[in-house]
Amino acid sequence: MATKAGNWQSYQRVLLPPVKDLHKLSIYGDYAALRSVLTHNSPREVTDIVKRSGLKGRGGAGFPTGLKWSFMPPVDPAVPRYLCCNGDESEPGTFKDRQLMEYNPHQMLEGILIANYAISAKACYLYIRGEFADWITLIETELAKAYEANLVGKNIMGLGFSSDIIVHKGAGAYICGEETSLMESLEGKRAYPRIKPPFPAQSGIWGYPTTINNADTLACVPLIIERGADWFASIGAPTHPGPILYGISGHVNRPGVYEYPSGMLITDLLAVAGGMRGGKKLKAVVPGGASVPVLRADMIEGVTMDADSLHKAGSMLGTAGMLFLDEDTDMVAFLRRVARFYHHESCGQCTPCREGTGWIENLVTRIDEGQGNTRDLDLLLELCDQMEGRTVCALADAAAWPVRNTINRFRADFEAKCRQSVWAAQSAAA
Amino acid sequence: MTDFIKNPVVALPERNPAPHFSEQELVFSAEEKARIARWVSQYPTPDGAVMWVLWLAQEKFGFLPPEVLRLVATELDIPYAQVYGVATFYTQYFKEKKGTYVLDVCTCFSCQLTGGCDILHYLEEKLAIHAGETTADGCFTLQEVECLGACGSAPMLQVSNGPFVYCLTKKKVDALIAALRAGRMPGFTSVTLPQDEDEMGGNRRTDVESTIEYAALPIAVRTR
Ligand SMILES: Cc1cc2nc3c(=O)[nH]c(=O)nc-3n(C[C@H](O)[C@H](O)[C@H](O)COP(=O)(O)O)c2cc1C
Ligand code: SF4
Ligand code: FES
Repeated sequence: MATKAGNWQSYQRVLLPPVKDLHKLSIYGDYAALRSVLTHNSPREVTDIVKRSGLKGRGGAGFPTGLKWSFMPPVDPAVPRYLCCNGDESEPGTFKDRQLMEYNPHQMLEGILIANYAISAKACYLYIRGEFADWITLIETELAKAYEANLVGKNIMGLGFSSDIIVHKGAGAYICGEETSLMESLEGKRAYPRIKPPFPAQSGIWGYPTTINNADTLACVPLIIERGADWFASIGAPTHPGPILYGISGHVNRPGVYEYPSGMLITDLLAVAGGMRGGKKLKAVVPGGASVPVLRADMIEGVTMDADSLHKAGSMLGTAGMLFLDEDTDMVAFLRRVARFYHHESCGQCTPCREGTGWIENLVTRIDEGQGNTRDLDLLLELCDQMEGRTVCALADAAAWPVRNTINRFRADFEAKCRQSVWAAQSAAA
Repeated sequence: MTDFIKNPVVALPERNPAPHFSEQELVFSAEEKARIARWVSQYPTPDGAVMWVLWLAQEKFGFLPPEVLRLVATELDIPYAQVYGVATFYTQYFKEKKGTYVLDVCTCFSCQLTGGCDILHYLEEKLAIHAGETTADGCFTLQEVECLGACGSAPMLQVSNGPFVYCLTKKKVDALIAALRAGRMPGFTSVTLPQDEDEMGGNRRTDVESTIEYAALPIAVRTR
């Protein structure tokens, strides 16, 4: 069957090339794309090329990257401008950026520099989560090599463009992946997300114009420059083109990061990952990290990994970190742990989120422990209504979606646990 | 004073706890000061460097009691309250003393489904402590953490905010504990792409197969 991913069996990996000897500067083409932009293109042209390629953000929201760059205000020599590269990657089920930093750090660094040029940024803060200590060391080593080779820093390659990359180490907070929270964290404050507007392009870190992109998004940029916007636009689903790093985990035989075109059939990806473990049947798929709605096995027929198709199926692309759950999975216990995650990671600024995530965890726990009533399910759904769209950042929504959808799509599982407790209460009374 | 302040719902931390470190210990060496100066130069204001300096302080002192936070504040010339606020916001900064090795077991999402909770319970039994506690000999602190971004190699854990140990089985846990008791930290393991495994003699597939013993029901998360 022809899919949006086209002839994916013969797809050649470009983000995570099959390298035998990892982390060697020389094998990454010595920043040829950067050299080419600095010699031939104006910043404006680079932005236009990226716009034409159709590249969309890989951080979860899927915002068009070229468009985001064009939001930066006109250059004022007195006002510094910054890029932030988001390598916080804390969304449960997502592990692609770490693999990218390990396999192909220079492509990301080169992408950062090209983006710095396109938005005339003085420097890029590369925010990496604190848990990735080993990868931070790795990036710092590679970055030092790049500085030495004059590929970063002052007057890069003698072509008159100067730009720095500064590594910032996080310290364990999911919320720092949210763009405004990341900026607060960079400024050395408690990482409370900011109210938008003003958007980062108007007022970002230290109030200066700032653009923020995911690490994976930026790693696509050198490819677009080198091989052309049309080449990139022709890969995979037309509305969300390019290579995608599918992070596949859960009950599959060969979990891990797979690079394929966007728009792959979920069923094809499952086959690529070796099928379900122990020959079990598929029960559900979470296609894009913990925050996106879960799909039942009977909902994935013909669904492809791009925003449109997943939206129609009732979910979202998110980070393309796919979790496959087998028939034995206890959905209540699963949701309970997800609820605990959001309760733990809520920054506590907004009441609906701070309290709501706690209530959700308590209610799901109660059901899971056989103490719940069916009424609790409706209470949970009402709680979700009260949280969505009423908070400073999207964490509250991200916490509500899995609850709403897991309950709606696996209601029988939840009711089974609830009824048990009613029966137990009745038989105890009798 | 309102009743709330007199009888807080949550126990408030000690106002002036006895310090763990003496005045003589509470100094940064010249080399450390140079590193701090370099970090400070990378941000428009010194505040930006606070997370790096807290990391440095934690490496040096092991944890971050108030007097260490004060030292960081003085060094960067920023308010103590700000440093305290930052240190308490993030989970990786230790506010109290931990064991020599801190085992952060992931039980989130993918790890839960592939046996992360089993690993945590196994460690609890093996070390005879609950998650969040430290062994009597001060050797291990066991913690439960949220997704560490290595879900493709679940279940996994992290040792002392450093190396990741992937695709855990009971056997692997036994070997890890024995090695740590002997003072040997695990090294950095590169995770092969599944697509490269045949070619590179990858390290993962066999590991994944042996974790099938945990393919049982994800048990409800009852750790306390
Ligand atoms: C609660 C929350 C957590 C987020 N975590 C991450 C993250 O870990 N990594 C990431 O790249 N983006 C994360 N994002 C999305 C960012 O806010 C932002 O949209 C993204 O980094 C922009 O990059 P992109 O346009 O390249 O996707 C998060 C968003 C929210 C609301
Ligand atoms: S929605 Fe939650 S995480 Fe986001 S700012 Fe509000 S309290 Fe914090
Ligand atoms: S769920 Fe454990 S590492 Fe992601």
